[in-house]
Amino acid sequence: MLYYVYDGTFDGLLTAIYDAYPEKDSPEKIVPLNAFTDNFLIKKYYIETDVEKSKKVHDAIIAKISEFAMKNIMYAFLSEHENAGTYILDYLRFGFKAGKAADSYLSDDRVNNIHKLAAKVGRERHLLLGIIRFRLLRNNIYYAPIEPHYNTICLLGDHFADRMSDQIFVIHDIKRGYGIFYDKDKWFISDTKIKEDIVFHENEPFYQELWKQYFEGIAIKTRINPKLQSSFLPKRYWKYLIEMK
Amino acid sequence: MSHYTPIIQQFINRTHQKKENICEHMFAYSAKSGIIMVLTSMGVFFMNLADKIKILSDSAKYDVSCSSSGSDRKNIKGGIGNAAPSGICHSWAADGRCISLLKILFTNYCIYDCKYCINRSSNDIPRAAFTPDELINLTINFYRRNYIEGLFLSSAICVSPDHTMELLLKTVKRLRQEVNFNGYIHVKAIPGANKALIEEAGKFVDRMSVNIELPSGESLKLLAPQKTKESIIKPMGFIKSGIIQNREEKLKFKSAPQFVPGGQSTQLIIGATKDNDLGILKLSESLYNSYNLKRVYYSAYIPVSNHPNLPALSGPPLLREHRLYQADWLLRFYGFSSGELLDEESPNFDELLDPKSSWAIRNLDKFPVEVNKADYFTLLRVPGIGVKSAQRILQGRKVSKLDFEDLKKLGIVLKRAKYFITCKGRYFPQKSIPTNPVSVKNLMLLEDRIKIHENIEQLSFFSLFPGIMAVRENITRISGEL
Repeated sequence: MLYYVYDGTFDGLLTAIYDAYPEKDSPEKIVPLNAFTDNFLIKKYYIETDVEKSKKVHDAIIAKISEFAMKNIMYAFLSEHENAGTYILDYLRFGFKAGKAADSYLSDDRVNNIHKLAAKVGRERHLLLGIIRFRLLRNNIYYAPIEPHYNTICLLGDHFADRMSDQIFVIHDIKRGYGIFYDKDKWFISDTKIKEDIVFHENEPFYQELWKQYFEGIAIKTRINPKLQSSFLPKRYWKYLIEMK
Repeated sequence: MSHYTPIIQQFINRTHQKKENICEHMFAYSAKSGIIMVLTSMGVFFMNLADKIKILSDSAKYDVSCSSSGSDRKNIKGGIGNAAPSGICHSWAADGRCISLLKILFTNYCIYDCKYCINRSSNDIPRAAFTPDELINLTINFYRRNYIEGLFLSSAICVSPDHTMELLLKTVKRLRQEVNFNGYIHVKAIPGANKALIEEAGKFVDRMSVNIELPSGESLKLLAPQKTKESIIKPMGFIKSGIIQNREEKLKFKSAPQFVPGGQSTQLIIGATKDNDLGILKLSESLYNSYNLKRVYYSAYIPVSNHPNLPALSGPPLLREHRLYQADWLLRFYGFSSGELLDEESPNFDELLDPKSSWAIRNLDKFPVEVNKADYFTLLRVPGIGVKSAQRILQGRKVSKLDFEDLKKLGIVLKRAKYFITCKGRYFPQKSIPTNPVSVKNLMLLEDRIKIHENIEQLSFFSLFPGIMAVRENITRISGEL
């Protein structure tokens, strides 16, 4: 069993694809270092991330298939699915042959697998646009902790920077230990660890209380339907929702 | 105190008991005496913001619309907020309905006494009113925390239609101009309000709506005698012509200010009157065709009063509401007309089968349809094939002929469709495909039966669920999950 192990970055994955593409035998798996557990059956090949190689793959995808395909591949990568790497390789082997029509082969598994993963990530991204909850801190930073299922907070920066353009904010992925930061000018990604206690602005509890009040008042009692509610808003997201506490 | 109605007396007593202070903008109105009392002049009370939210969201929740879609208003430098064309849901309440906008009344003091309405003047409920400042502050603070997508401001009729409309206008104008808020705003046009006020408000909001509520003139007479058909239809006309005029201006000057870019909508109450589904659907159809409405919402009547003119219901007619939404979709995105779905002989929808399946069973001679050949609108008429499925079929068959296995991989649900389609000339592989309407219907019901019983309370109100996948945003917009 041959495993390609890359550093966990998107560039790393594309480098692995670059290296694997001309080989006759696909690697069994292409895995990020942090998800890799060694055992004596596995033959491993460490990928040296090379931005030039990854850029070549990136440009080839856009030129030979489409922007849409590139976006799907990135979303599939962010799904952190254990087979995402190999799915992407399979898709590209097919896609570079099929060209611009590749994404019309909807019933082909090589295409379908990528579309399914991309759709899941896209869905979560859209959900997060709505259910991120900022808390105003004493130092006037709006802070939103969240534990998304997929690695999606990096897809939120443009939306919130555009929308909340006059407030400093942090969206913190607690599970993955990084956050997106916005300083009223541009947004960026950085590792994050909260060292001190989080102290709310004096007004914060007041607005949280009002929101809870509103949330409770708006439900129609004769139509209560918890199953429907949690089908739209799965319970795994409730932890950081003010109104669900 | 002799001219006080019991309600107002009770209300004043209640608030006095709480020993609360003074609020400057509090109105109370007695429908019977016709005398307006500004309670502050008598030194009455103060109500805190939490209480107001409780009262005024409670009164607003029967308004169905929560959609925040259809507008692409941009943020400006130093401003806050923008609109997302696909709409964004921010939470889901315990009833499973999406919360997108801060849906709230300016006040629930009402001069009208519409029998079906929780805010009718004769109803003994706590009353409250916001000040524009309070509402602006609340909207901004909720928005900054990403609780909401914007504001949906409605109101009971306080003092007069013009007075009420002025209050709404003042609030939305200040939101846009003073605090530079560019998020979504939906505001009610108050029936009977001055044309100029409605047009002015249209310049600041993304969507406007006038609730028709009761689907016919007779029903209005019976349950809302103070309203007339004309007073409701008129503001819809103002908004429509405003939108058309704005569109022409935009063609000439790109920089022309926007006027209600998200279009207008309305709401009908289902089951409070004897109106049948055919009448309701015909009304919706003409609203879409002649008033260019974006949406007609249907609201299952929730018993809020025991007036003799109202029907006695055990619960809201949710299934009927669901069927109307299904039919509404068929009108807007599937190329059906109301006359195809219902007629005078059977003017109500089948409770057991969805409107499209019912139609297909009555028109079995139009089937089967060959999946690899049929055009888009023919595919759309197959039960079980929706806008997304039809688009995927068109895309998929560009590169290869599709069989039933392919359809499954495309995510097309065959439960209904299998009776009505062929792939490469063949029917779905099963023992026998019935060709007479009765047995098709029976087979479908057989497959459904258990689920129908379980699902009556669990119907998914998909209409409140905006487009979800960013990857497919363009498809979503076409398929119109507004």
